[in-house]
Amino acid sequence: MSEEEQKTIQAAAAGDRMAFRELVLEHSQAMFRLAWRLCGDEGMAEDIVQEAFIKAWRGMDGFRMDASFRSWLHRITVNTGMDYLRKQSRRDQFESEDPGFETLEGAQWPSHDAQIDIRRETEAAMRDLSDTERAALLLRHFEGHSIKEIAQILELTSDACKQAVFRAVRKMRAALQPLAGV
Amino acid sequence: MTDLISISDDDLVLLYYGEQDDPQLAAAVARSDLLTARFEALSAELRMADAYQPPERDKGYGESVWRSIAPRLEREEQGFVQKLAQGWRAVSRPRFSFAGMASVVLVALLAFALGQVATRPGATPPGQTPVATSASIDPERLLAATVGRHLEQLDQVLTEFVNTSEPGAMPSDWATDMLVANRLYRQSATARGDRKLAGFLADIEPLLIEMAYEAQVGSGTTFERMQDEVRNKLLFRVRVMNTRLNQPQIRT
Repeated sequence: MSEEEQKTIQAAAAGDRMAFRELVLEHSQAMFRLAWRLCGDEGMAEDIVQEAFIKAWRGMDGFRMDASFRSWLHRITVNTGMDYLRKQSRRDQFESEDPGFETLEGAQWPSHDAQIDIRRETEAAMRDLSDTERAALLLRHFEGHSIKEIAQILELTSDACKQAVFRAVRKMRAALQPLAGV
Repeated sequence: MTDLISISDDDLVLLYYGEQDDPQLAAAVARSDLLTARFEALSAELRMADAYQPPERDKGYGESVWRSIAPRLEREEQGFVQKLAQGWRAVSRPRFSFAGMASVVLVALLAFALGQVATRPGATPPGQTPVATSASIDPERLLAATVGRHLEQLDQVLTEFVNTSEPGAMPSDWATDMLVANRLYRQSATARGDRKLAGFLADIEPLLIEMAYEAQVGSGTTFERMQDEVRNKLLFRVRVMNTRLNQPQIRT
């Protein structure tokens, strides 16, 4: 953590809202990407981001400066997102709203549609993962957290975290294998 | 030497992410055409997962998030300050509510145990330094015990709240008392480094703020919604946390 970020975090923890605003501006995009990958819905992802920042604000005085602020925010975002998912049906939220998918149904597939196919299969595979498997996979694959960090974020043992990643990868591969080489 | 036969796809996943337990694994894979082929197939399929990309947010997204949450942060702070002032006025009245009285007494005990020095009249001989009497009290257990009592009271009033049919039937100061106590216990938990407990108390605070506000103004529609939120979201969590606090071997 840079000295500048450390000072901003300390100020925010002391109640400085403008300092917290700096953190919001710095981390919003990354939190949105994480939230979207977790829930697959733009509107819900935006709600998750806002709610996560509210929780972060409330918990700022409990943040330990020797920890990673990014990991701490990711933990809050993932936990908030999983709360949202538990409240709502995952399948409804993962339905694609892209009209392009509907217009291409049943059509002949020119080569560039292979990308749409892969994306759709990936989304479907992510939908079929459990919340924990999805969270573990996206934190490892897309966010680059180590297994140890993911275990702390998800409050799992390292072994349980590894198993979640392994299961997620197996399911993802099963969905994408037919499309390999397209 | 690494046993090639025992190398599983899970091992290759760890290798892909640079988290392999066996430092010889990469070399073993490189030496075997079969393992290399398996690893390349895995890598290709995982790279395909990179197609799972979120929609772009423009450069002003962070600012729009701030604009959305800033009023809530301000309302919470103002709400807390107002309710804290109301709460202290409430507990300073000659007629205390049960929760307010219990909270003040228990928080005073907690402050004592968490580092205050107390003297008993006549206990310290003249000219000598007063002896701390907090040494015999375990602050962590006292925090758990007092928060446990707070949660028991909260359980009782929330159960009454979800079962009442009239918005104005509950005493108007009950939510304020609960909110004040909750905030003070949260700060104590934070001071003690108990992040899980502090986080839980922080999570339930917004609903307590809303309930304290609604207890003042009253609204049929909001009342029902809040009853649903308490019934579906809050009560279970309060009971689970209270159960955990009562199990000495599983402190939060």
